[in-house]
Amino acid sequence: MTDIPPEPTRPSAWGSLPLRVLFVFALPALLIAFWWLTSDGSTNVYWPPLRTILRTFPDVWTRARLRADLVPSLLRLLAGYASAAVVGVALGTVIGSYRKVRAVCEPVLEFLRAVPPPVLVPVIMLFAGIGDTMKIVVIASGCVWPILLNTVEGVRAVDSVMSETARSYGITGPARMRAVVLPSASPQIFAGLRQALSIGIILMVISEMFAASNGLGFTIVQFQRGFAIPDMWTGILVLGLLGFLLSVVFQLVERRVLGWYHGLRDSSRRSS
Amino acid sequence: MHASLVVSGLRKVYEGSGRRVEAVRDLTFTVDAGELVCLVGPSGCGKTTLLKCMGGLLTPTSGEVLVGGRRVSGPPPGMAFVFQEYGRSLFPWMRVGANVELPLKQKDLSKARRRELVADALESVGLADAAGAYPWQLSGGMQQRVAIARALAYEPEVLLMDEPFAAVDAQTRADLEDLVRRLWRQRGITILFVTHDIDEAVYLGERVLILSASPTVVQEQLKVDLPQERDQLRTRVAPRFAELRTHVYEQIQAAKRGEPS
Repeated sequence: MTDIPPEPTRPSAWGSLPLRVLFVFALPALLIAFWWLTSDGSTNVYWPPLRTILRTFPDVWTRARLRADLVPSLLRLLAGYASAAVVGVALGTVIGSYRKVRAVCEPVLEFLRAVPPPVLVPVIMLFAGIGDTMKIVVIASGCVWPILLNTVEGVRAVDSVMSETARSYGITGPARMRAVVLPSASPQIFAGLRQALSIGIILMVISEMFAASNGLGFTIVQFQRGFAIPDMWTGILVLGLLGFLLSVVFQLVERRVLGWYHGLRDSSRRSS
Repeated sequence: MHASLVVSGLRKVYEGSGRRVEAVRDLTFTVDAGELVCLVGPSGCGKTTLLKCMGGLLTPTSGEVLVGGRRVSGPPPGMAFVFQEYGRSLFPWMRVGANVELPLKQKDLSKARRRELVADALESVGLADAAGAYPWQLSGGMQQRVAIARALAYEPEVLLMDEPFAAVDAQTRADLEDLVRRLWRQRGITILFVTHDIDEAVYLGERVLILSASPTVVQEQLKVDLPQERDQLRTRVAPRFAELRTHVYEQIQAAKRGEPS
């Protein structure tokens, strides 16, 4: 009677490991090969052969440059993203918890969300100057919307039976937030965080293109203005790799935090 | 014996958008300490409203509910709930042990004491080794056992069970009914068990309260004079069991037609 089924492993539709590796890398390899072949022998200055770009890469992205440009960019992204997460989740929890607050805030939120964040850069520059603060504010002001709106939805959608269970056992206030509301909203909050991550990377680059003395966006614009076209292309490659790595890290964190959610979904899918 | 649960003159009228619905008209009954009372009634008879008023989740229009002598104005500390929808009542992000322990964290208990209560409660529902599993890894019947364990660990004065076995299969249901009987006898808790199943009400209860159709009043209170020792096979075929269930059935039919008892 007390047989507990083992922790479910996610069923793999793809079979063995080598086959999966093949599937994961097949398309990227194909695209790289395509780029390599079509660009090979290109004499167009703006469209250098991939061979040249890759040869330039180690010369451009030395350890010193990574420290001087990649690290500041990453720190700004991290600071902006983290503050957006804190503000978004905190505000979203309040707005989602009270129907009256929601009725007042929702139209304003929809408006603010509709404003494309890059247009805020000049405005924010006026207030926050051209230093790191400006860039962090720009990143945060763009990232906060998906996090905020998803948190509102997630908090609002807390199951009524769970809510009543908590109430009937006297679980209220901060304990209710911590043990019931936030975990219940966490899948939705993570959906917001994922959207915010890609917005954050975009805004990181854009804010550095406006007024900066270092950073990835700044460096790429510098190369372009100095007609160092292969160098510029390597910068774009770095950005692509960075975005990819960050999304892998994000997925790892999500798998850990939302392990219960994926398990729950798999188990209800199996039984239905 | 003193009354654990007193409901007197309870009335609940829902008002909204120009419509007045009188769900509960006038309910008065008591449940003595250590008693197991079943509540049956025709469907839509305001059982849920009544339960929510008792649990302090709804404020009655008039009348009052006393739990352990104290008037209910919010969820009373001496009351535990077992809901019908176990899948939505257990928290899927917590393992079974944490689910059972969560309400205890609101009480002023030492960590050791909490652990002891959790282990004891899980043991008594036959899930001693499930503490580390997630609820959704368990079958429906096992999940409802976890919900029962959570209520037991809370050490309530009154345990309210809202159609707890309506969503499990018949065999599991029989097991769970016997579990409730056993826990009730072992622990001497006061249980109010709401069900729409007449057989279940007669099999489980020491007393059956039959409710009328909405607006609800108590149609009849019936003492179940079956032996203490009950058994799924023999009790259910006993002539007295058949008489009692026939009587309850007739009363509910009468309630549906709106006749007084």
